[in-house]
Amino acid sequence: MLWAEAKQKKYMEKKSNIKVGLTGNPNVGKSTLFNALTKSKQHVGNWPGKTVEKKDGYLNYNGTKIQFVDLPGSYSLTAYTQEEAITTTFVLEETPDVVVQIVDAQNLERNLFMTIQLIEMSAPLVLAVNLDDLARKEGRVVDTKKLSLLLNTPVVVIDARHKKGIDTLIEAIIKKSGNKNKSKIKLTYGAEVNEKVQKIRNFIAKNDKQMRENELDWITIKLLEGDIRVDQKLIKKTYYIELKSLTEKSVSHLETVFGKDIHNILANTRYGFIKGLSTQVIKCRKNSGKRNFAQTVDCLLTNKFLGIPIFLIVAWLMFQSTFTLSEPLMGLMESLFIYIGNHISVVLESIQSPYWINSLVIDGIIGGVGGILTFIPIIGILFLIIAILEDSGYMARVAYVMDKSMQKIGLQGKAFIPMMLGFGCNVPGIMATRALETKSDRLLTILINPFMSCGARLPVYVLFTGAFFSAYQGWIIFSLYILGVLIAIIMGFVFRKILSKKSLSPFVIELPPYRWPSITGLLIHVWEKIWLFIKKAGTVILAFSIIIWALASFPAGVDYGTRESFAGQIGETIAPVFKPLGFGNWQSSVALISGFTAKEVIISTFGTIYNAEEGSSLEVALKNNFTPLSAYSFMVFILLYVPCVAVLAVVKRETNSWKWPIFMVFYTTLIAWTMSFIVYRGGILFGFV
Amino acid sequence: MNLEKALPDFNDGEKIKVVSVNCGRNLSRRLCDLGLFEGTEIEILKNDNFGPIIIKILNSKIALGRGEAEKIYGEKI
Repeated sequence: MLWAEAKQKKYMEKKSNIKVGLTGNPNVGKSTLFNALTKSKQHVGNWPGKTVEKKDGYLNYNGTKIQFVDLPGSYSLTAYTQEEAITTTFVLEETPDVVVQIVDAQNLERNLFMTIQLIEMSAPLVLAVNLDDLARKEGRVVDTKKLSLLLNTPVVVIDARHKKGIDTLIEAIIKKSGNKNKSKIKLTYGAEVNEKVQKIRNFIAKNDKQMRENELDWITIKLLEGDIRVDQKLIKKTYYIELKSLTEKSVSHLETVFGKDIHNILANTRYGFIKGLSTQVIKCRKNSGKRNFAQTVDCLLTNKFLGIPIFLIVAWLMFQSTFTLSEPLMGLMESLFIYIGNHISVVLESIQSPYWINSLVIDGIIGGVGGILTFIPIIGILFLIIAILEDSGYMARVAYVMDKSMQKIGLQGKAFIPMMLGFGCNVPGIMATRALETKSDRLLTILINPFMSCGARLPVYVLFTGAFFSAYQGWIIFSLYILGVLIAIIMGFVFRKILSKKSLSPFVIELPPYRWPSITGLLIHVWEKIWLFIKKAGTVILAFSIIIWALASFPAGVDYGTRESFAGQIGETIAPVFKPLGFGNWQSSVALISGFTAKEVIISTFGTIYNAEEGSSLEVALKNNFTPLSAYSFMVFILLYVPCVAVLAVVKRETNSWKWPIFMVFYTTLIAWTMSFIVYRGGILFGFV
Repeated sequence: MNLEKALPDFNDGEKIKVVSVNCGRNLSRRLCDLGLFEGTEIEILKNDNFGPIIIKILNSKIALGRGEAEKIYGEKI
């Protein structure tokens, strides 16, 4: 009683805590708006029990605390995949106070398709019309007042990129949160469909007294559409089997009557409604028909002859600029760590700390973790460039251009995006395979993804090429990337033959208009990646540096980092396996084992072990242990061998079995060994040393 | 009647009314979400006679694999 009263009271007052979901089609500026609203107060995690990333952020607005949840972008709310189910689950179960749909004014009709579904779900909706300026340039003027009136929903015009209309939006959100009136629009699907809807609705209402009114309508429609989420929700009910057969009968009846499938029937009605709506709210002026600059560029980038060469040039520029831009910064970072190291050792000596502490700090921690942190610039810049390619809209064109070639290895254009992302990190690369519909396509793309040389392997190449191939550094590294791609293509071909010849996932991808990526958006994205990297350096890499240091220092009495230490003994045992590949020294073996946790650890391991040789830099130490040929062979091995633990974990999660990650460990190592063998032995045959 | 052709048989710039979509359920509903179903009007933006084709649905550019496009029939308007 009291509780109910308190609850009542809570709703009467202006709410001080508001939960808002941000949703919308892909490429409508959702992340830009999210960044503009929450600035730096963001939190990235996972949706409970799901592998899909969850982002939320906070805003304090005149004493009201607003929580924004960034929902995955999608075209429709019917859940066929886990990702699509998130928005519906959020709206229905987390009972947000407001749901903001960001709507692209240039593409109002398609965006409204989702709006209608949100209204059908009785979501407390606010529409934020974005990119209105671009639409106006195209000659499309959206009458937002009328739209608001017709949909009975607040509509605000915003410009997410220039941060215009943000305050108006926030005020509309706050106003909506205190107002529980739902939009009263009800779509009618025509007599035939309505009859079936009514029948199913009545059936549920009769058998399930707890079901709320507004939920009933929505569940009925979703049942017809075959939504997985509704199935998950109802599967435990006693009436489920009867309901399912009733639904199936209704669907097949409708499909025979209309002569098309159920999606077509429903889409027809929804788009019919939208068409009526948009003739009233969109005023089209005749477009000049003149080709603008972006269209000319697009013609070039997707040209049938130039498309692929242009892409190769872009890829090459991407790697070149990653190096040239990061080089001076890396030099700075390096001197910084040397400076810090010297200071700490002076301090340590002045307080007369025991020798082993000096060694742990200087050899273990600074040698290991510091060595890794100098690579922050190169990784940051690589991620920056990949983000620019994605945000500008070019990535979708690459998928288009590559589709033809990808079909040859039994994949489709969209499978190319996970591969490109793999150059940054294989973990997001593997997660991006979700865009592929069929299981065998996904598995194939996952299995070849680790051959895309990730950002963590790059520091190893930089170190080795710096020592052995300083004149051709860029080319040598580029050759490794190409080798990775070639191996991926060959293996893709092989797996396609083995796995299945079943039909491929359909290739359907939107080519969004070109846009300048927003600077803040890019910076936030890059900062997230760098922060993850620093965290990794502070945890996994730190731990491993200490373990390697301990292995290199004990048993007690041995000289640090010598053959007699534990590390030396372990390395000695394994080294013969790598002898035919040209790097049979025990240090390499230890480095390769530790590289299993994360590829960057290879450097920190070398750093830790070789620090034993007083005064000599890592480069000099490497030169004493490798020849240019064995260095190249070593890099080939690093490129291809076991992916890191994080990748294996994500493969386990995505394929839902241990079978594939374990398979991956063996087959990649086998390929790595074979390729390094060919490179090293072939090199000797041709007279390289 | 003989005006009905599969999408890859049309040329750049031709405006088409979709007559039938004969692809699998999954693709068909993806296309519905994007606004392509029987009765909609689309435009062929780019057909290179190999590889995917680019079409305009509503106001957006969509690249569609050639194999998929072959299952969609339309007539010129």
